[in-house]
Parts: sequence; structure tokens; C-alpha cells
Amino acid sequence: MSEITLIEETARRTIADGLTPAVIEAAEHGAWAGELWDQLAAQGLLQPAAIAQDAAEALEIEAAVIRAITAAATPLPVVETILAGAFLVQHRLEVPAAPLSLAAFDDSDRLSLTNGRVSGRLARVPWGRDVAAVVAVAGDCLLLLETRSANPSRGLNMANEPRDTLEFKEATPLARATGVDSDALLARCAAARALQLAEAAARVLELTVEYAANRKQFGRPIGNFQAIQHQIAAAASEVASARVAAQQARLALAAGKNALMACAIAKARANDAAAAVARMGHQVHGAIGFTQEYQLHRYTRRIQSWRHEFGASAYWNRRIGELILRDGERSVWSILTATA
Amino acid sequence: MKTPFFDARMDFPEMERTRAEIREFLARDPATKTPHADSWSHFDPEFSRRLGAAGFIGMTWPKRYGGHERSSLERYVVVEELLAAGAPSAAHWIADRQTGPQLLRFGTEAQKQDILPRIARGECYCSIGMSEPDSGSDLASVRTRARRDGDTWVINGRKIWTSYAHRSHYVLMLCRTGEDPAARQQGLSQILVPLDASGLTIRPIINMAGDHDFNELLFEDVRVPADALLGQEGQGWNQVISELAFERSGPERFLSSFVLLEAFVERARREPSADAAMLIGSLIARLAPLRGMSMSIAVQLGRGEQPNFEAALVKETGSLFEQDLAELIMREVVPAADLTSADKFQRLLAEAVLHAPSFSIRGGTREILRGIIARELGLR
Repeated sequence: MSEITLIEETARRTIADGLTPAVIEAAEHGAWAGELWDQLAAQGLLQPAAIAQDAAEALEIEAAVIRAITAAATPLPVVETILAGAFLVQHRLEVPAAPLSLAAFDDSDRLSLTNGRVSGRLARVPWGRDVAAVVAVAGDCLLLLETRSANPSRGLNMANEPRDTLEFKEATPLARATGVDSDALLARCAAARALQLAEAAARVLELTVEYAANRKQFGRPIGNFQAIQHQIAAAASEVASARVAAQQARLALAAGKNALMACAIAKARANDAAAAVARMGHQVHGAIGFTQEYQLHRYTRRIQSWRHEFGASAYWNRRIGELILRDGERSVWSILTATA
Repeated sequence: MKTPFFDARMDFPEMERTRAEIREFLARDPATKTPHADSWSHFDPEFSRRLGAAGFIGMTWPKRYGGHERSSLERYVVVEELLAAGAPSAAHWIADRQTGPQLLRFGTEAQKQDILPRIARGECYCSIGMSEPDSGSDLASVRTRARRDGDTWVINGRKIWTSYAHRSHYVLMLCRTGEDPAARQQGLSQILVPLDASGLTIRPIINMAGDHDFNELLFEDVRVPADALLGQEGQGWNQVISELAFERSGPERFLSSFVLLEAFVERARREPSADAAMLIGSLIARLAPLRGMSMSIAVQLGRGEQPNFEAALVKETGSLFEQDLAELIMREVVPAADLTSADKFQRLLAEAVLHAPSFSIRGGTREILRGIIARELGLR
């Protein structure tokens, strides 16, 4: 595991050096943080599969990178590029050395493949304007689509990160493979977002504990008040369970067993946990947490944006429930004990 | 800020072997024909004896004390299977979970040889002697006093909320044995008192579900031999803290009403709806990570660590979950909850709802647990 720790440290250092206040500010206004991107790419952090011994280790490296980028609210499509690469590798396609992004893998994808040409729409593609290509699905076909061949309409998530809708008209994919399970791709993306939510929530908790220990009112740190302590304690429980759920999803993906269920659980749990922690963080911080100059919003705006990407809570709760209700043979308990 | 340690990796093949064993036992045992919500407060000595005879009590203890030298995760698996089956496990529960481990850790050779084998056979049951009428959450304020008189301890005072003292054999008391010290946590000791001792009066307290589980214990010059002391005189507080790590982290902190979820799913499978699916999903999404957290603690306990921070997080998250389980199902369903109903779902719903208030009180209130978490985070 020490190698994983080393990779995480490398990623943290690279980000600490490259993600300056000026870079953060520029990214908020739509600039591409190209130097930081190149640094991360040069360290080999964007293609875990290329440096890992096996799939399980690739997932652990991916998690280490996600922890590092999320702790700093890094405004780059790192997760999207890693996952797109993983999907290409999985389908024995070559991975371009460029920023990549992902379709939503849900009902909002409207792509059709006719005679080798792709037409239709991908809604709210992360950094659609900045990436070279996007991994999407049409029918049972995995596609790598060049963003240059699309007509983009720009949008933003609540953290001012690009979410651009791409319209394709008879585009020729850069690469394609058949036999793709779109649901499995969605689950994998949900698990990664779940870890981002858990780690952003952990950072909110950390900032809040620091703030409560330093901010004085009525002559003492506000963290001395039970009303504050109890809110923070409840949030710490949320963070712990969201992190464990994300790890369980990773373990299920590595084992290739019950991954859909575990990923669904991870995303549903992280959505709700992170939302609760964000609310608590703002309450304890008071007015300062609501300002642009203070950094809390960098995490809470991402939490609010990620909650409904790759499946909101209602979606995954329903899917989990359906998996159980349709499994008429087994008790809930035997399903649960087979999952973890 | 301190980060709690949780590792959900469970590469322990012995777990699944043990799971198959306990499932086979439970499938054949008559007691599981009528599952109960909050089943670890249902007292059935016959069941506990059968469980002990099959080797499922005192699982981690040395064989020379009647134990089975199995891993703490194997014990975890047995405990969660008992809860999931709604098996009546109160008789042996406290002795197996905390009194036995305390004896093993702090007891004399004679105490261990005398008591542990009987616990492991499912024949000897224990109660917790911590709370007093004026000492609930503020445990360090206990006033029950044990005075040394030659070869005996003479105990005077009162204990309360002592579950199944009227059907158990020993109560492990936290008593004041020293002179009034500056720090209230000093001068405390643990003493193991037989529940048939003379001078000890056991009065029933009926709970809101109508069960006789609680008691109040009155000690009037109760004499026990000097060797009834557990561990060191004056070390009672530290010993109790280690006892609480066993008490707070187990699956009984989130599975008390699990059988109700199972019954709800059985109903929903007959009449599936999107609402029911959503509710089931939202509960499972909370339960699965809780299991991971609790199992991670079981591994730590097995290594002899004291994961008090992690245990507090499990109990905080778990009690909220097991209360919400009953609450959210109450919002969803039409049939009335009824303790006397022949319909399993209606009966379990009533059991879960009527027991739910205790979930965030027993073993440390939600407020105390949140205080512990805040302290671990550095806020106190």
C-alpha cells in the first residue's frame, strides 16, 4: 500500500504547486488550467491502468488520485479522463494522451449510430469545450468521439466548471468497440463521483473543525458549545459512512462481484452524506462561509453539482430497491451479506 | 483533525465458513420460527444453551476457558446472523459481549476458570451494573459504595436499568471503593456480585412495550468475598471505558429492527411499487456502509486495539438508522402495528416502534456519543 500513499503524495504536491490562487480564479472564469494538467499527465497520474499491476491496484491508484484532487477542489477533468481511459482499455482500444470526458450514460444521452456515423446529442459533458474526445455509448457500441466534430453549447455546473452539450451530426468516431454494458459504465462513474463527494465532504468537515476551534464568540471558541459540537459530530459520522461506502464500491469493482449494487449504494450514500455535511459546514461557518473570499464554497458548490451527476439519490435508491424486490429468491440479508 | 480508521477490506475466508455454520444452526433451531425485532432483548435460556452447546458463545476465548479460539470477525458474523434472524439472544448477550471479555482481560485465574466456561456453555448470564438513579449519562457520579471489611466487600447503594437482573447470575458493578478523591473518575472499582446475594433486592421496572427487562437493584449490606473484585482496586473507570468499546461498536447498534425490513420487503415483493423500492434502497444504502464500519472495528478489537472513536461513530450512525427504519416504514404503510397480531409484519412493526426510543439511549445516549466524537475531533 505504501506505493499508493506515495502516488497520493505526488499528486498532492503537484496540485499544491500548480493550483495557485491565480489559477483557481482563472478557472472560475473559464480558463483551462493547462500547466497543472501537463504536470499531472507527466507524473502518469491520469492513466492508473498503465502503472498498475492489476485492475484492483488501478482502482486504488485512481482512488488515491481522486482523494488528492478533491481535497484541493481541482478544476480539471481528471476523474473523467481516468475513467474514459479505463473504459477504452477495458474494450481494448487505444487511449489518446489528451484530456478526455464522458457521456452521462443515462437517458439524457441521445446518440444513434448508422453506417458507422454518429448523430445526436450528449448533454452536459464535463469540460466538453476543453477535452479532445469523449467516451459515449450508442446501443451496445462504445464510442470515442472527437469533440471537434461536435457543435457545442456551453453550460456550467454550480462550481463554474464547464458542462457543455455536444451535438453530433454524422460524425465518424475515433474508435469503437461492441459489447458494451452501459449500466456498468454508469455504475463505475457513480462510484468515482461518490468518492469525490465523500472526500469533498471530508474537506468541509476539516475546514469546519478548524474554524470552530478558532472562531471565538461569547469569549470562547464556538467549538466549545455543544450545539456546535453535536452538528459537527453528526457530520463526522456522515463522512465516515460515505467513505466506507466508496471503498466498498471499489472493492466490489475489483472483485467483479455485485458491483452494480455496491456502486449504487456508494452514490446514494455519498449524495446524501455530502449534502448534509455541506449544510452543516455552512451553518457552523456563519456568514463568512457564504462569501466568495473564503474557500468553503469551492467544496460545497461541487458537492451540490456532483449530487445529481451519474445518478441522484432517488434514482439509485429506486435501483437498489428494484434489485432487491426482483430478487424474489433471496432474503434481503443474504443479498446484503453477498454484496459487502 | 483526527481521522477515524475504517478499512472495509474483508479478505477473511473463515468468515463465510462460519456464516454457513451459524445459518445452518439457525435454520434448524425452533426459536427462529418467531423472529423478534430488538431480539437481543428477548430472553430465552433454552436458546442460549443450544447456542452455547453448538460453540457459538465465547467464540474468541481460549479453549482452556471453554472458548473456541476463533477470530473476532467470526464472532461478528455469528452476532449479526443472530440479529438478522431475530433470534432471542438476551440471556447470553451481555455475558458474551462484555462481561466475559472483561473477565478475560482483568480477571484472576480462578475467576476465569469458574465463570467463563459456564458463560460459553450458555448457562451463565450477566447484567451491567453501571447506571444509578442519580447517575445516568454522568457515569462518574456513581455513589454505590463497596467498603472493605476483612475478607469481604460490603456493598450499599442502588443500580438501575439493570436488564434481566431477575434472570441472570451476576452483575458486574461499578462501585466507589476509595475515599472521595479530587477526580471523580478515581476511587472506582469493578466487583462481580452474584444476583442471589443476601441483602440484594431486585425490583422490576416495566418498559413502555410492556416487557419486564429493566430492574432496580437495592444493595443493603450485601457481602461478597474479597476476590469478587475484578481487576485492580481503583482502576474501575479505565476498565469500564474498555468495556464500553465492546458495548458500542457491534451490529446490535444498527440491526435491532432489521427483521422489520425483511418483513417489509416480503410484503413489497407481493405488491411492488416505486415508493417501496425507493424506501428499501434508501435504507440499504445506509445499512451496507454501517456493516463495513462495524466489521472494521471487529478486526481492530481482535487485534487488541481500543477503537473508541470508531465505535462512537458506529453507534451514532447506527442508532439513527435503526430508529429511522421503523419511522420510515411507519410513514409508508397502511396496516396497523399490533404487538398481538398473528401477522408477522404488523407484530414486528409494533415491536420496532415501541423499542425504538431506547436505541439512542442504551449503551450511551446520542448526546454522550456526539460529545465523544467532538472530543476525538479536538473540539473539547
